[in-house]
Amino acid sequence: MAMSAVARDTVFALRRQIAKIEGTLPERLQAPAPGAPINAGGSDMTLVRRGLAVAAADAFLHTGIDRLDTALGGGLPKAALSEIHGLETRDAGAVAGFALSLVSLILKEKQGLPILWVGTAEIFHEAGLPYAKGLHALFGIEPEQLLFSEAPKLLDALWIAEEAARMTAFAAVILEIRGSPRLLDLTATRRLHARARNAGRPVLLLRQAGAADPTAAPVRLIVSAAPSTSRETVAGPLAGSIGRPAFKVDIGKSRTALPGQFTLEWNPNEHAFAERAENSVAVVPTSQRGADPAPASGAVLAFPALAAPATGDQPSRQQHPAHRSPRRAG
Amino acid sequence: MISHRDNNTQRIAALDERAEALKLKRGMGIADARAMHPSIDVVEADPEADRRLLEGLADWCDRYTPLVAIDAEDGLFLDVTGCTHLFGGERAMQDEILTRFFQQGFDVRAGLASTPGAAWAAARFHGDRIVTGGEEKALLSPLPLSALRIAPETRTGLESVGLRTAGAVMAAPRAPLARRFGTTLLLRLDQALGRLDEAVSPRLPVAPLSVERHLAEPVMLTDDIERLVNRLAIALKTDLERRGEGARTLALLLFRVDGAVSRIAVGTSRPMREPRLIQRLFHERLTALEQTIDAGFGFDLVRLSVLSVAAFDLVQGDLAGEADDDEADIALFADRVRARLGEAAVLKPVVVESHLPERAVKTVPFAEAPQRRAPAAGRATPRTAPPMTVYPPERPVRLFRSPEPIEVPATEIPEGPPMNFRWRRALYRVARAEGPERIAAEWWRQLPGEEEAPTRDYYRIEDSEGRRYWLYRQGLYGSAPQAATPRWFMHGVFA
Repeated sequence: MAMSAVARDTVFALRRQIAKIEGTLPERLQAPAPGAPINAGGSDMTLVRRGLAVAAADAFLHTGIDRLDTALGGGLPKAALSEIHGLETRDAGAVAGFALSLVSLILKEKQGLPILWVGTAEIFHEAGLPYAKGLHALFGIEPEQLLFSEAPKLLDALWIAEEAARMTAFAAVILEIRGSPRLLDLTATRRLHARARNAGRPVLLLRQAGAADPTAAPVRLIVSAAPSTSRETVAGPLAGSIGRPAFKVDIGKSRTALPGQFTLEWNPNEHAFAERAENSVAVVPTSQRGADPAPASGAVLAFPALAAPATGDQPSRQQHPAHRSPRRAG
Repeated sequence: MISHRDNNTQRIAALDERAEALKLKRGMGIADARAMHPSIDVVEADPEADRRLLEGLADWCDRYTPLVAIDAEDGLFLDVTGCTHLFGGERAMQDEILTRFFQQGFDVRAGLASTPGAAWAAARFHGDRIVTGGEEKALLSPLPLSALRIAPETRTGLESVGLRTAGAVMAAPRAPLARRFGTTLLLRLDQALGRLDEAVSPRLPVAPLSVERHLAEPVMLTDDIERLVNRLAIALKTDLERRGEGARTLALLLFRVDGAVSRIAVGTSRPMREPRLIQRLFHERLTALEQTIDAGFGFDLVRLSVLSVAAFDLVQGDLAGEADDDEADIALFADRVRARLGEAAVLKPVVVESHLPERAVKTVPFAEAPQRRAPAAGRATPRTAPPMTVYPPERPVRLFRSPEPIEVPATEIPEGPPMNFRWRRALYRVARAEGPERIAAEWWRQLPGEEEAPTRDYYRIEDSEGRRYWLYRQGLYGSAPQAATPRWFMHGVFA
C-alpha cells in the first residue's frame, strides 16, 4: 500500500509539473477516483497527455467532423489562442471564411454576442474589409454583432486584441496580421493566449502570408481554398456552377495530433461543416519506427491496406513494385 | 520695432519703449523712420503668430473664468462675474492677473468695470483701474472719442463737428446723432454706460460642470495627473448624480506653470459618471499623448470639465453588486480604444438600403452607430424562419475598399466572363464562373448634368486553385461607339 501511495504522489507531482509547463492550472486537473486501481509497479503506467484534455469536457469547440476533432484531441480549444494561417494573401478569403465558420459554430452556443475583428490598416487594405452582408448570408452573423477595429500600427492592434481578449463580452476576438512581423513573437502570443484562457473566450489569430513562427497557441491550422462542388438542384448538380465554400485545412501544429489534411465544406444553411469524402487522402506517411501511434485518426480510404497496424513497419508489396519486379525480370 | 505692409508701404505696426523714446510713432513709414534713425531694427509683422499667442493667453486666462473672449487683435475680455471672490476680491484678482502676466514678460493693461465698453476704455486709457457700477459716465466723459469703440470714419465725422470727447457726445441730443452717424454710435455709448446689455461671446462653450484643483506644488508625472483626475471625478460624480446626468464628453485642462495650457478631451459612447472609468479613459488618452504633452516644470492647476451631458439611466444591479452588462463593457472598451487611437479606431458596420455593394454597408465610428438592439426574446431564429423563395444574391466575405483594376486579355464571348485575368501581377486561370449579376448605378443619386455611371456585370469566379473571386465588368461592349472597351475590376473575395 505504501508503495502505491508513493507512486501516486510521484504521478501527481509529475502531472502538476506537466500542467505547469502546459499552462493548465493544477486545480483543474482531475484527481482519479479514490477507488481507482493504481498499478503498484508503476512501470507500465502511461500518462496520456492530450493537450488540454485535463480541462473540462466543454473546453473544446467541436467542428462536427469527427476525424478533425480526434486529430485535434477533442476539437479546437475554446479558451485559447488559435492560429489560422493562410500561405498567401490571396487566401485571405478562405482564411476569413474558415475563421468565421468557427465563429459561427461558437455563436450557436453564445447567441447574440458580438465579435471583434482587429486588423492593421495594411491588412484591411490588402485583403479587403470583411463585408457584413456576405457574412450574414453565409455565417448568420448579424451586422450589429460585428465590430471592426482598424489599428494604424501592429503594436496598437496587439494592444486592442489583448484588451479585448480579457473581456467576456465578446464571443470571439479575431486578430488579423499580415506577414511575419518581429513584434508577433512568442511573448506576444503567450500574452494573448493567457488572456484568452483567463476570459474563457477564443482568440483567433489570422496570419496572412506569414511564416510558421514559434507560437504559444496550442493549435495552428493552415487553411487554403479548395475547389467547390457544383450547386445541388432538384435535377442534380448544376454543371459549371460554384457551390458551397470549401476549405483545405492542414494541421500545422497541435499538441496531440500528427499533421493531417482535411477538406471541409461549409453548409451555410445548417451552419455546419461537412467533410468531403472523395478528397480525404491520407497525406501523412505511416510511421517508419513503429506502429501508427494515432490509429484513431479516422479511416484512411485511399490506401486501405496501409491502415492496418500490422503493415505499419513493412512497405507493402503494392507500394514498392518498381524496383523489384524489373530485377526479377532481368 | 515691427513693420507691416499697408497700402503698398511698409509702416510701423508696433514699437517698443526705446523706439518710442526716439520719437517714432505707429503708422509712420519705415523709410521715414530709417531716415531718422538708420540703426533701428525692423521685424516683419506676423499676424498669425500674434493670433496664436493671444489664443494661448486666452487659454491661460481660462484659469480665472470660463468666459474668455478675444477682442480684436490685442485684447481679451474676461467675464469675471461671480469669480472674483475666489481670488480675494476685484482688486486682488486684477493685481494677480497683472503680476502673473508681468512675470511671463507681457506688458498688460487691465480695466475692470461693470460693462465691457467701460472696461475696454478703462484698460486702454487708464491702465490699471477698477470702475464700480455707476461710475462709467465719469470715467468716459473726459476720454477722447476712440474710447467709444467706434469706426474711424465716425470718429473723424464727430471731430469735424466739434465733438471731441466722449462727454461731449453724451451731452449732444441723441436723435440728430443717430440720423447723421448711424445707430452704432449710440449703441456703443449705451453699452458702455450700461443702459444696454452687451454679451461677451466666449471662445469656448462653457462647460456645464467643471471641477478644478490648484496645486501648491506642480505635478509632473502622468501617474499623479491620473490620480488627480480620479479625485476630481469623485467630486464631479456628486454633481452629476444630483442632476441625474452622465458625462458624454470630458475635457482635462492642464495649466502649466509657465502659462501653456494642454487640453485633453475624451468622448464616451454612453453617459458615464463612475470616477474609476473616467480615470481609465484618461489613462489611455494620456498614454497616447505621452510624447506630445510636455510637462515642463509641472502643472499647477488641473481642471476636469464636463463638456456635454446626457441623461443617465440608473440600472438595477443584482445582489452581488455586479450588473452583468456586456453592452457597457463593450462601450467602455470602445471608449478606451478611441481615447488612445482616435475616433475611427472602432468601427461598426451599418446596413444601408442600397444595391451598390460598396454603399450597402458603411462603417461608422462606434460612437455614432445606432445602439444595438437587444435580441428580442421571441425572435424567430433563421432556422425556424419560413423558407425564402427568392434567394438573395451571393455576396463576398471580403470587399476591397476600392475595386482593383484587373487585366483581362480577351473573353470568349464579349458579354461573358473572362477566361483568365491578371490581378496584382499574377495570372489567374478561371475554372468556373457564375453570372452575370447586373448592378446599375443609382440614378436617383446622380447629380444633374453628371454623366451616368456605367452598369456593372458581376461574375463569381473560381480559379484553377479553388479560390473564389468577385469580378465585374464596367460598361458594356459596343454600348457607345466612342467609348473605350469596358474595364474589369476585382471587387471582393468569397470564402
